[in-house]
Amino acid sequence: MTAKGGVQYSKIAEIKGPLVVVDDVENAAFDELVEIETKEGERRLGKVLEVGNGKAIVQVFEGTTGLSISGTSAKFVGKLMEMPVSKEVLGRVFDGLGRPKDGLPDPIADKFIDINGEPMNPEQREYPKDFIQTGVSVIDGMITLVRGQKLPIFSGSGMSHNILAAQIARQANVVGTKDDFAVVFAAIGVQYSEAEYFRRSLEESGALKRSVLFLNTADDPAIERIITPRVALTVAEYLAFDLGMHVLVILTDMTNYAEALREISAAREEVPGRKGYPGYLYTDLSTIYERAGKLNGRKGSVTQVPILSMPSDDITHPIPDLTGYITEGQVVLGRDLFRQGVYPPINILMSLSRLMKDGIGAGSTREDHSEISNQVYDAYSRAQEVRALAGIVGKAGLTDIDLKYMDVGDVFEKEFLTQATDENRTIEETLTILWKIVSKLPKNEITKIKDKYVDQYYQEN
Amino acid sequence: MTDSLLAKSIDKILEKTEKEILVNLENSFSDAKQTLDDSIPKLEQEFDKIISDGKKEADKIEKQIIGSSDLEVRNKQLLTLEIAIDKVFTKALEQIANTNRSADYSNLMKTLLDESTKILSTTKVIVSTNSKDKDLVQSLLSKYPGAELSSQTINCLGGVVVKSKDGAMKFDNTLDARIQRLKPLIRKEIATKFGVGN
Repeated sequence: MTAKGGVQYSKIAEIKGPLVVVDDVENAAFDELVEIETKEGERRLGKVLEVGNGKAIVQVFEGTTGLSISGTSAKFVGKLMEMPVSKEVLGRVFDGLGRPKDGLPDPIADKFIDINGEPMNPEQREYPKDFIQTGVSVIDGMITLVRGQKLPIFSGSGMSHNILAAQIARQANVVGTKDDFAVVFAAIGVQYSEAEYFRRSLEESGALKRSVLFLNTADDPAIERIITPRVALTVAEYLAFDLGMHVLVILTDMTNYAEALREISAAREEVPGRKGYPGYLYTDLSTIYERAGKLNGRKGSVTQVPILSMPSDDITHPIPDLTGYITEGQVVLGRDLFRQGVYPPINILMSLSRLMKDGIGAGSTREDHSEISNQVYDAYSRAQEVRALAGIVGKAGLTDIDLKYMDVGDVFEKEFLTQATDENRTIEETLTILWKIVSKLPKNEITKIKDKYVDQYYQEN
Repeated sequence: MTDSLLAKSIDKILEKTEKEILVNLENSFSDAKQTLDDSIPKLEQEFDKIISDGKKEADKIEKQIIGSSDLEVRNKQLLTLEIAIDKVFTKALEQIANTNRSADYSNLMKTLLDESTKILSTTKVIVSTNSKDKDLVQSLLSKYPGAELSSQTINCLGGVVVKSKDGAMKFDNTLDARIQRLKPLIRKEIATKFGVGN
């Protein structure tokens, strides 16, 4: 940080959507922070998107509504956008640009960090293998989250992803270590009532103390959404790699982020890609998702749970599609389960945690975890086939063993999947329920679990 | 004879009934015992569940209470600290405003003018300053060909605002602007003096 300021230019050539084109600009830098000042003295922040031929294209975070070519000036601040960070940010609520929203002063900064972050050196990355307990049975038992992993939740419009996100934020914890744990929660373009729900939910559960909230509401300018995940990840990286904490970052809803990106791209008259999203959507998303992981020799970790609502529940939509290429698995919420009133409505057959195998088992969760989980996957999948068959031939046409599988499906959904929003299950409780489900089957149907575990955990009816 | 036979029969029936009742009682007793024995583990399980649920709930409430009170204390501390920082700031600004316009100050103004013209890449500029520094700036401007002093003064602690003659570029090099830019660092310095932060 320097006392030297930047030059203020008053020749505005054009205002187009969220962009302001400034003329006769010298020495502006790509990504440089810009202060736009209106005729009335109101200040808005922006950043340089393009420079050249004496022009600079500035993206205004707070939107260009009310700006006019005459009377508006742009001050090029001479630095990139930075987030002030310190341990004090824990327990604080910020807006989408990282400004306090809780009525408290700016945090006394320990450091000012460029919000774009620095890419992690791949060679320095440590393979994620430590379990994070979310207290949500279906995630802990079947789609286990591992420290340093990026595991998105694919949801649909109106489904209970925000309730799930808040529950994970309240309950998530690292087990078997005294290391500090923190949650960084970025709400991107959510309704005011949802933002309030997140804040109240963390406050009332006492989890706000170890959390940092960034709230960009639906009525905030869309362009701010480009910044929200970046400021959140900047804080997360500081807490993880400077203070040695294990940080869980929840970003909801990344679809709103991608839409803001599309808005800017359209204003820049770029050639649109699929569904009008810019061709660099994949690259852009990766600059966010890749900011998760663990580093060799550093104590902390950044784990990401981005949440995105799939337009028309279409998993082939560019946003979930490209997200799936970058992340390490996905948790998919099912519309059918949601309609049945199941919470959390996670469709396990479409969900997967690619790093689960390394984060479970003896020493992390329990030695039988992997096998019992595989067996339940198998049984639930068979239950779905049997349900489909019963739809054609009727229940009377099913064999005894088919009926047992149907029973497994019902118990799975009613006792394992279904969970109260304030119910925090330990991994032991989760595994006990998984064994209860498997124990509905005769022993000869249990083919994926070693006999010694069957002898130890099978519950005779 | 008939009476004794009748009595015998009655005795037999009574004896049989007594036996049946005793057997039934015994069976009922053992059934009840069995039910009781069976329910003991269930009751124990239920008891354990109630205790563990209660413990969980107590932990949850404890976390809530401790979490929110810790946060409340911390937030009050932040507000108190901010009030103290503001007081220090106001005092410091007062001192700066009342600084003697010495030779050092003249050198500072020259540095500010140098910096401003360099950043704007021209000396053909209009310079504005406060009424206190007007004469000083006027005397320094002779070294900058094409530079003019604005007839209007500005309200600031010190320093200059430099504008290109066409009005397209402006550089605010007042002390106020510089302090504002450094405010986050100064706040940290002050907080450290109060024993907060690093």
